[in-house]
Formats: sequence, C-alpha cells, structure tokens
Amino acid sequence: MTIDRREFFRRTATGTAALALTPSFSHLLAEPGQGDAQADVPPHRFVFIRKSNGNLPSQFSLPTFSDVEKQKDQRKEAFEVDLDHHELPAWLDALSDHKENMTILHGISMAVSGGGHYSFSGCMGAYKAGRNTISGIKRTTVDFELAKLFPSPFGHVEVSLASGSGTVVFRSGIVSGFSAPAKNQRNFCYADPQTAYDELFKSVTNSGAVESENTLLDHLHGQEKKRLPGLDGEERKKISDHVESIRSIRTRNENVASLAKVISKNLPKIDPIHANGGPNASLLEKQDAFTDVLLSALISGLTNVVTYTIDDLGTPITTLPGNKGRVDLHRLGHSRDLKLRNIVKASHMAQVAKMVTKLKSVPEGDGTMFDNSTIIYFPETGAGHHGPDTEAPMVVLTGKNSKLDLAGRFIRLPFYGTENHKTLSNWYTTLLNAYGNPIDHYGDLDLVMTRKKLPQKGAIDRFMT
Amino acid sequence: MKLDHHLRPFRAALFLLLAYGSARAAPPPVDQLLDTYCFSCHGERTQKAEIRLDQLDELEPELRLEILNKVEAQIFFEQMPPKKRKRQPTKAERTTLLEWISDELEKHGASRLKETLKRPEYGNWVDHEKLFSGEYAHLPGYTRDRRWLVSEFIFDAKVNDLIDHPGVRSIDGMKRNVVGDNGVNLGTRFGGHSLRQSITNPFLLPTTIGVRYYDTTTLTGGHLLTMVSSAKKIASYMSSEKAMKTYYPAMHRILAMELSHRDTLRSREQFLTRHIARILRDFYGHENEALLPELIRMEVEEVPEYTDGKGNPRKRDNVGLLARYDPQDLDAIYLGVGLYKRDDVTFKQVIEKCERDWFTFGIHEKRIRTRIRIMKVLDKQWDMARVYEDIRKKNIRPAPYRPLADAEMKVIAASIRKHRQKGDRYRWIIKKCQADWEESFRQYRGAAGQASDEQIGDLVVELFSKIYEREPGEEEAREKVSLTKSYLKTLSTQEAIAKLIETLILSSELVYRSEFGQGPADEHGRRKMSPRDAGYALAYALTDSSPDAELVAAVKEGRLTTREDYRREVIRMLARRDQYYVIDESVQKAGFNASITNQPIRKLRFFREFFGYPMAMKVFKDDTRFGAGRHDGTVGRLIDEADMLVAHILEEDRDVFEQLLTTERFYVFHSGDNAVMQAASDRLRTIYDYFRKHDWKSFTQKQLYDHWPFIQKMKMRGTVFADFETNERRRSGWIRSFKRTMESLELRLGKGQGNANPYDELPMAYWHKGNATGRTGQVMRAHEVTTYFNIDYRDWDYPATQPAKIPHRKGILTHPAWLIAHSLNTETDPVRRGKWIREKLLAGTIPDVPITVDAVIPEDPHKTLRQRLKDRTGDAYCWNCHQRMDPLGVPFESYDDFGRHRTEEKLEYPENLITERKKAPLVNGIQVAVYKSLPVETGGVLDGTGDSTLDGKVRDTFELVERLGKSARARQSILRHAFRYFMGRNEMLSDSKTLIDAEKAYLDNDGSFDAVIVSLLTSDSFLFRKAPAQKP
Repeated sequence: MTIDRREFFRRTATGTAALALTPSFSHLLAEPGQGDAQADVPPHRFVFIRKSNGNLPSQFSLPTFSDVEKQKDQRKEAFEVDLDHHELPAWLDALSDHKENMTILHGISMAVSGGGHYSFSGCMGAYKAGRNTISGIKRTTVDFELAKLFPSPFGHVEVSLASGSGTVVFRSGIVSGFSAPAKNQRNFCYADPQTAYDELFKSVTNSGAVESENTLLDHLHGQEKKRLPGLDGEERKKISDHVESIRSIRTRNENVASLAKVISKNLPKIDPIHANGGPNASLLEKQDAFTDVLLSALISGLTNVVTYTIDDLGTPITTLPGNKGRVDLHRLGHSRDLKLRNIVKASHMAQVAKMVTKLKSVPEGDGTMFDNSTIIYFPETGAGHHGPDTEAPMVVLTGKNSKLDLAGRFIRLPFYGTENHKTLSNWYTTLLNAYGNPIDHYGDLDLVMTRKKLPQKGAIDRFMT
Repeated sequence: MKLDHHLRPFRAALFLLLAYGSARAAPPPVDQLLDTYCFSCHGERTQKAEIRLDQLDELEPELRLEILNKVEAQIFFEQMPPKKRKRQPTKAERTTLLEWISDELEKHGASRLKETLKRPEYGNWVDHEKLFSGEYAHLPGYTRDRRWLVSEFIFDAKVNDLIDHPGVRSIDGMKRNVVGDNGVNLGTRFGGHSLRQSITNPFLLPTTIGVRYYDTTTLTGGHLLTMVSSAKKIASYMSSEKAMKTYYPAMHRILAMELSHRDTLRSREQFLTRHIARILRDFYGHENEALLPELIRMEVEEVPEYTDGKGNPRKRDNVGLLARYDPQDLDAIYLGVGLYKRDDVTFKQVIEKCERDWFTFGIHEKRIRTRIRIMKVLDKQWDMARVYEDIRKKNIRPAPYRPLADAEMKVIAASIRKHRQKGDRYRWIIKKCQADWEESFRQYRGAAGQASDEQIGDLVVELFSKIYEREPGEEEAREKVSLTKSYLKTLSTQEAIAKLIETLILSSELVYRSEFGQGPADEHGRRKMSPRDAGYALAYALTDSSPDAELVAAVKEGRLTTREDYRREVIRMLARRDQYYVIDESVQKAGFNASITNQPIRKLRFFREFFGYPMAMKVFKDDTRFGAGRHDGTVGRLIDEADMLVAHILEEDRDVFEQLLTTERFYVFHSGDNAVMQAASDRLRTIYDYFRKHDWKSFTQKQLYDHWPFIQKMKMRGTVFADFETNERRRSGWIRSFKRTMESLELRLGKGQGNANPYDELPMAYWHKGNATGRTGQVMRAHEVTTYFNIDYRDWDYPATQPAKIPHRKGILTHPAWLIAHSLNTETDPVRRGKWIREKLLAGTIPDVPITVDAVIPEDPHKTLRQRLKDRTGDAYCWNCHQRMDPLGVPFESYDDFGRHRTEEKLEYPENLITERKKAPLVNGIQVAVYKSLPVETGGVLDGTGDSTLDGKVRDTFELVERLGKSARARQSILRHAFRYFMGRNEMLSDSKTLIDAEKAYLDNDGSFDAVIVSLLTSDSFLFRKAPAQKP
C-alpha cells in the first residue's frame, strides 16, 4: 500500500481544518472514522504490550528446530521457518491455536532506545528517553502516531501495571504513562482496572459526572464568547480559538455519548476486588481485569490503539502462582531463574490469548474483529534485564486483513550491525508505512549502523504486502 | 523556476483568466519594474511555473491576493528575481515594489508577510542599520495590547502553587525552597512526586535554539484537552480535605459539617480497627467466643531454600530488602511476630496465630495468603536472627487501648449490638456500623440544607484569589455562585467545588497573560499598562512566578506607574539572591547535577536559549566514539558547567558579551564552590600522603586493618561495613577497592601535581556523598567530562579554583556543550555553526533551504568533512546562501563532534580503520578506534560585521571569536535578541530608540547586562501599549 503525504494529511485528523489543533492531540477530537477514506472499512486496532526484564533470546527458540536451524539460531544468523511445522516453547502454549496468526520476530535491535533497566517512553518512540524526564521525550510515540491514522473518541488508551516510586506496590488511579502524544509530552495512564473502567465507560456508568462536565463546558463556552465583542485581529483569534476548542471537546463528549448503546452492550464485568484501586487484587487478577477493560474499549470503538505495560521491574509478583519467594521482577532479572521467567511470560501469553480469542469472536465485516487487529508483545529493554539491546525478540499476532506479511512464521532477521539488520526504528516505520503514514523513516538512526555506513532507513520491505 | 509550489492549485484558474485582455494593475513605476524584472519569466511570452503576473487585476480577488502575498514574500526575502540572474533590482527598486504590493494587500487586510515577520525566525529581517542609525529614534516605541499565552515555565510555577508542590532542595547544606522543581525527584525511578508528575504541561515552547517564547501562539484544542485532564487533578487536590483544612477556610466552612462527620467516622473506624477484639470481649464477655467465625485455614505451598549463583544454599541477610514488600503486609507480620514469637513458640505456630488473627479480623483471603507466603519465605530463606533484630528495632506494637468519650462508646456499643451476627468477621461488623452511621449523618446534613449563597460567594472569592490572584467582579461572582449551585444538583458538595475549580482553571484568564494599556492615550495613541498588568509583566520578565510581595505592594499602593517605579522594581528584583531556581531538571537528573542558581532565572535562561548549548543533550551520540564511558551520563555535567560559567559571568556583570565570547576560563568537573573542591582535593592528598609512607601495595587484610582509625577518620569507602572483622567476603572485596583507590591516587598526585582531581575512583550510588559533592549534596559524577576538553581525568593537575584557564578554548563557542549542540550524530556541522553566527551574532539572514535541495553532504572516505562540504555547496547556486554560513563555521573544524580539540580529522570509514577501539591506546582518557586522518584546515572568513578592520580572513577559531568579541554588530545582534526575549516579539523600527538606549546602557555601565535589562524594561517599548487596530 502506498500513500502520499497529501493523502496522509487528508486521511488523518491532522488535516482537519475546522479547528486549530496541536498535531499531537488533534486525533482525539476527530470524529470516529473521520480520517478513514473508506468509511465502511473497519479501522485497524493495535495493542502494544510492553514487558520488563527483556526477552531472553534462548526462550524464543523453537524446541523442534533442526540442527541446522538450531545452529543458525545460536549464531544469530538470519533464517525463517513456518510455525506450522514446529512446536512452540511451553510458555507460548496458550497461543498454540493461533499459530497461523503468530510471528516470533527475532533480530530487531533496540539500541536506538537503549537497554538499561528501563527505556521508559524510548521503546515506543525509538529514541533514548534518558531518565524519563519530559525533555527526554523526543517525539510522538508510535502508538500515538497509529492512533492518528485511526481516530476514535479516546484516541489512545494506556494502562500500566508498572510499580510506584521506589517501592514494590501496585499503583492506582490515573498516573503518568510511558507513551507520548507529542515531543516533550507525557501521556497519562490508568494504573488499576477499576479506574480504567470508571474513566472509559463513565458515559454510561456515571451520568452525573457527564452532566456536570457538559455544564462546565457550556458555561466556559458562554463565558469566553462574551469576551469576543470588541476584539479584533490576533486578540479575537486567541479567544475565538479558545471558544472553538471548548466546543470541540463538547462535541467529542457527544460522540462518546452516542456510543452509549454499544458501550452498555460491551461493558465488562469487573470484580469488586478491584474497587478503590484493588489493593487486594493479585497480579493475575489485575492483568485479567485490564484485558477485559481494554477489550471492551476496543470493541465499543472508544479507541483503536492500546498500550499496556503488563509489568515493570517493580511490579509485585508475590501472588504469581509458581513464584516461590521472589518479591519483584528486578530480583528475577538478576537471577538465572528461567523457570520463573517462563511462568511470567506464560501469564502474559494467557492475556494475549484471551485478547485474540475474544476479538475472533466479535463479528466485523465479512470476518471478525481480530482480522483487523495487531498485537505486539515486546520487551522494553531488549534481550535481558540490562539489555543487551542488540536484539529484542517479540511476539506479533496479526489478523487476516493485516498489511504486514509475516504471520505464521519464526523470523530471525540479520544480527545487529550487519548488512540488512533492522532496528526498532525500521520496525515502527514498517507499521506506520503499512497503515498509511508515508514517513521515510520513523525513529532515531542507530549509531553503530551509521558508523559502519550500513543502510538503515525506511520500512522492512519484506514485511510490506 | 517555480514561484512557489503552493501556488499549484491556483494555476488552472490563472490560465482560465489569461484569456482576458492584458490590462495591468500596477502604477507606471511599478509596472516598469515588473516589466524589467518579472515579466520576462512571468509575462505574455513565458509563464514559468505557469505563473503570469501581467494580468493580475483581472483575477478573482481571492486568487489575486494569494498571488500578491506570494510575490511579496519572494521579493522581500530576495528569492526573486533568481540569484543567477545578473540583473537584480536595487534596494530602492525592491522597496518600491514591496510598498505597492503591501498597499494592495493592506487594502484588504490580507498581508501574510506581516504575520510571517512576527515569527522569531524572521526577526533579523528588520533592517539592522535602520534600527541603530538613529534615523528612526524619534518614532514612539510601544507594544500592542495583548494576551500572551503562558509559557511552559509559568504554567509549571502556577501548577506548583495550586497543588502546593514542595519544591525543596538542599543547597550548600541548607534546605531551600526552589522555583522550577516540577517533581523530577532524584531519588525515585518514576519521577518523584506522583501528582505533580501526572500533570501534563501543554504549553511547551519550541525546542529551537534562540528566543523561544513569543506572544504569537494561541491556545488550541490540544492545549485545552490536556488542560481538562490536568484541571481535574489540580481540582481534586485543591478540594481535598487536607488542602481545604490548611489553605481554604471558605471551602472548609461549606464542608465543615460533612468533614466533622467524616472525622467522627474515621475516629470510630480507627478505634474499632485497633481494638475491636477487646471491645467485643468486653461487650459480650464469655459469649464472645461462640460468636467468632470458624477459622478456615489457607493452603499455602512451601517455599524452597535460597541458593547462591552456584546452587549452594544460602541465607539472605540484607534486611533492607524487606522494605520491598508492601508495608501493610510487612507491618502486620512484624506485629504478629512481636506478639507471638517466644522461645517456646515455633515460627510455624506464629504463622498459625497470625493467620487466625487476620482471618478473624476479615483480612482479604488473598492478602492472608500473601502474608503467609512472605512468612514462609522469611523462615526458609532468611537469616532469622537478623530478621528478629529488625523486628525488635522497628518495634511495631498494638496501639494502647484508650476508650473514646462515653457518648461515642455508647453509639458504638449500640451499633455493634444491632449489627453483629454470629460468625461475622470483625471487618464486616465495622463495615455495617459505618454504613449505618454514614446514612444517619447524610440524613442529618440533608435536613440542614446545602451551602448558602453567601458561603458559596465566599468560596468564589477565595478561589479567585488563589487561582487568578484577584477578586471577582460582581457579575463574575454571581455567575460562579449560580454555576456552583447547578453543579450541586448532580454532584456531592466536594465534587461540585472541584468542578468549580476546574472551570476557573480552564478559563482563558489562567492561560493568557494580560498586558493591556489603561487610562488616557498620549498623542501617539499609546497608553501605559495597568499597574496590575505591569506587575505581572515585570515579574514574568525576570522570573516564572507571579509578582513577589514587594511588587504586589507596589501595585496596591500605586507605586507602579512611572518609569522610575519600574526601574526601582527591576533593580530590586535583579539584586535578589534569596530565591533559588532549578535551571534545568533534565540536567539535574542526568548525573545528579546541581543545576541551580539564585539569580533571576530568566536572565540566565536568555543566554541558554540564545547560545543553545543545552541542546547538546538532545544530540544522540555513540558511546563507542565517545570512548570515555557513557556520553549520555556525562553531557549533563557538561551543560551544568556551561550554565555555571554563564552564571559566573552574569554575576560579575562586566563586559558580559565579550566575556561570553572570548573567556579563556572554564568550569571543568567543578561544583562552583572553590572551597569545597579544594577541600575534596586536599582530602585525597591527605589519604595519599598517609599511605604512601607505607608499602600499601603489599598490604594484607590484617595490615590494612591496622590503619582502621585513619580509614574511619577519613571516611574512606568501605567503612560503612560494620562487620569488617567478621565478614570475609566483604573484607576481601574491600582491600581490592582500597588498592584501586590508591593506584588512582598515585596517578593523580604521584607526578607532582598541585591538586588531585577530586573524583571518586569507585562507582558510588547516588545516596553516597562521595569525595566531592555538588551544591545540592549529591556525589559529583561524570568526571569523564574532562575528556571533552582533551584532559585526562586520571592525572590532571586539578585547578580547584575555577573557572580556570583551559587550553584550546576561548569563549562559549568553543565550549564542548555548544559544539555538541551544533553537531550531528557522528559528524560536526559547520553549516549550522556558521548559520548560528550569521543569525545570532551578525544579525544576518539565511533563506530557508529550497525544497528542491537535498541538503546532504556526500560521503567520500578520502576527504575531510570540510572538503566534502565544499564539493556540495561550492557551486554557484548553493554558494549564494552557503557563503553566508560555511566560512564562519569551518574554523570550528578544529573541534570534533564531541567538542574535542583536534589537529587531524579521522576519516571514519570502515576502509580507513587502522586499530579497532578495543586495541586502541588510551589518549587523554579516551579509547576510540584509530582511523586514517587528514590535517584539519581551520581558516575561515568573517564578513558582515560592518567593520572593515574586523571583516576578512581568519586564521582559526580563536581569531574568529576574538574579532566577534570586538564587534559592535555582534553586541547589537545580542541586544536585538535580548529585546525579543524580554518583549516576546520581534523589534520594529519604532523600537529603534529602545535598542539604541539599551546599547548605550551596556556601554556606559562597563558591559553590564543588568543595565541592559533595566533599560529594556523601562523603555517605551515595554511601558506603552496600543490597541492592535491602531497604526504606528
């Protein structure tokens, strides 16, 4: 699929001329489906699942590799095999029914975002985020870029099970997130399922809040409008922009309200254990509830892009079945406990499988909602607890309408710093190009590739259909 | 040739219109000029880019204005006629053309050029000679009435004020309030203060180098949408019980009854939670036992032994790590162990007793399971002696029983008797009682009625005072009371108050600064700013905060109306040193740098933005090429020390511009406190001198321990281990670290150096103070910063008194931070460096890169970058613009892209590799791959100073910056940028006097920048305002 820049701007909400908007947020105020040239074509959905502690390459090797394949895998040489002909590692069992949609993608490097303990927003934007300062946020992260291509009332939803500062305790409420709607802008995220539920579905669960919100906007609209008479030129523009901005938010609320029926139909059931931030809920319960909430938000059309930090190094794992005494993932990262690492990953895969199964059960067009979905499960710090960031194995699930040609395979791309190696920037460029953003190259350039004068710009051609 | 690619949509329409006659729109002189310079390409015979200009009057008005706008821009920016045409209009001819087009556009209020020229990047297009010649000094200066969108810094300060964010730093050993702390705390992973961090700042300034904060930005939907979510969080805090009790008496009065009820409920809940077991025993006596729930024990699997990396069983003993458990669980466990563990009670029995207690109380099943699992982990994997010791130290005990007042006890007793059922767990009983009480309180409040209009009115006044820092007008107050009452229809009282706060925050009044004239206009139609607006204008000129107490008093007392009043306040504010500011939180966080100042922050920030050296942090560099560790962690110190240098020069306030451009003294691995750095260096000498008398290289553990008193006295690293004598593992590690330290000290002092470089040889966590600490008390990291200056940190004869003379450096433009900020990822960037000098120091202009140009320097493994650049930009077409940049930028080729001085340029291509990095020698503290190289050419050309004694060829960077330092044009160019910074707009010819006066103030006061600020902020350009519709 090719698309030129003019078409891109026309199709995305950034091109809407009705309201002056900072590009980062314009998609949030766009009409659902407004950016899509073909209104009858369902939007594509993206689920980014970030996990901590890296992904150890050895855990991604297929147990039924031939000797030759095994050798290539160990030497990190490029090759690919059909998953159909192979068994999956045990921790991937939950996805065994979905092999045809699955890709084990190997060989993408994350040096552009760094591989220390954390990469914060960097792994979503293909840049080094430093110590998570605002000024370290270098660009709009890829999830927000994709959200611009498929506008929705909420635009983008981020949830997180990352721990709080300096402790090993689950957070709750609305807290700072890792994605970035724009350069130097930090997104917020929901830190517990109940808060996500309350905020996302309040148009049908809390009419008082909605009513008062509308009263507020109406009042503001009237108040600012009163300032307009007598103003001219730039001063008039400043106030009229304010008035217009208020009106747009009001319209957006109405759009959400218009989805009330479909939201009600898909409202998830949330266990009372999650009330008040869910202090007693276990890790698995929180993961499970988040998945339910996110699925409902996707199915209701409240959002088309979701970013889910399923754990970070401080996430408490004491309640994880099979864990015999470790408190958090940081200690696990410093150990050689592969068994527990597999348990952690298997718990993640249970959520991925739940998403795939549910999305496959929702009819859409001639098929199901999953046909128009992509789920990417990836590490925030490459191939281990402190990196290395030279590789970052990930699991990708794509529906049949995917614009990427990679399903059903184990793919190992050329290793870091060698000819045809692909970086996280290339991977994100691929996603963006495939779904309508014609950007030449998204993300930072890798400095080792630069130093070696190796080509590294653009999408991964072989994945483009 | 294209007029402009944006015109394409109009071409079709244009062609349709070409069919009509050939009447021309312009008066004869203009028509003649168009004929001479334009029609040959855009006339009857030829229509390059399908554009024809000889029939403009026949076009539809909209199309005609569109084309005229484009033509005006092309002529103004001298992009037409094309440079390659020999025949070019004179300045006067160009002016004639422009005046005609401008008049045509003005008739319809359609000039876009006017708006374009308001943007920061077009500031230099105002004729420099005209501004400073004095020819226009008679024009009365003014700024138009305006709303000015708040900056990111003002927004942050406002948010901090509204949420009472504690901005505190330890500075020079004292706790001080700082402005500019936005929650990026050094000690936490996710950015410290969670509420502060979760508030997103939508008012970010552009990240360009140069003046960034202009009055031309308007609020957009994106800003407002972000504000909606931030307003909710701020309102939630401000309407919280804690905040209203502390800061908002009117709010508190409205909720007084409800809060009193909540206090009662909390008190009862707390009392019951602590003592319910005893209360039930007291109430029910011997019947109590039969009413208790029947214990259902949990099955919790056993945990394995803890093993070390080799699989050997080991006991964990670092009890500090236990703090990683949820505190409520750990406290409950500690309490239980403290209550039940006795010599005759096994740990297993303790677990069982705890389980029973927790079950009976009604702790959630999962939490009980978690606690039991933790206890089993302790029992199996931990050194229990240490755990018990920790439990003893923490001494968590049940709260002593103190009954509530009789009346309360009666209520509790009645309620318990009413609600308790057989088998109820304690928490259930408490919950039922609480629900009962809550309902009765609610009914009571309902009967008492909602808040009165008067109470709500007081609340409105209180909130206006806090949020807008003024009282509401009568109508405003009425409106807000009414609005609050409508909120109360659907929300609880507290929620309604929060909603009112949100409303106020989302108003344009909060997001725009207001600068309007007031009172009668003078003969030029100008009015002075209202005193209130003037107070804010002055405060925001120098700081990010609202007016300070003195300024507020001056406004209230009518002492902010005359020029002298302004002067008095500006001088006072410039002299203040009692308020500290965080310069840059990202610099602070990158390596725990201090990054603080007590000079008014916007003074320093001007030079940060003007020079742009903080952008060094944004340029992604490869550690392999840095060769001295982690560039990312080091560049923060580099920027911090550049800030220190600028702050130092500003504090001296003498020949400021010349000093900035030509100083030879720099800060390198220094805190800014000479005494502290000398002491840190002396300490190392003391250690070195003490041990050098001994054969320390052969020390055994025992021999080292003989020096324990000295080691303890000097607090050498390792003394933190109290178990030195008993812990074999740590002891052996410590002797290794001792020898490593001594070897390092031998390098630092063994060659007869005067002072030791006071860095820590051993890596230190941030909570250690280190040998040398920065002014905010953190260990000074990133000693590798010396390598940017070609200094080997390992054996540097350290100048403890700084700034100190550093070889190969002269002025900020040779500071590595500036050089990195103006470099590419892997190469230098002479074009950008030259462009910076042309625009920032020579007030020159550079047209935008034509869209047809692929601005990439071709690769060639046999040439230096300078040679490759010449290949690319040397042809006549490119050289037209590049001659204004490249000759100014190439002298800086004597520094590489890390700002390191060099005489040879490495040709970093794989085919030129001589030695791989790992095998390369360590030179000046860096180890990088060795490549073939070529000598660096450092010559360049300075032109555009307007001074023939300065213009001409320059030998190298030093000669270039020396001449710039002497240049009046450079001084004036800096002044023009300072004008823009403090006024928030580009200069106009009517600002000529303001600029001339500012230069005079600088020269008359020995190069004082403070004098410049005073001059600017007391100028007509600052004092007087005009309505936008009025013409100058």
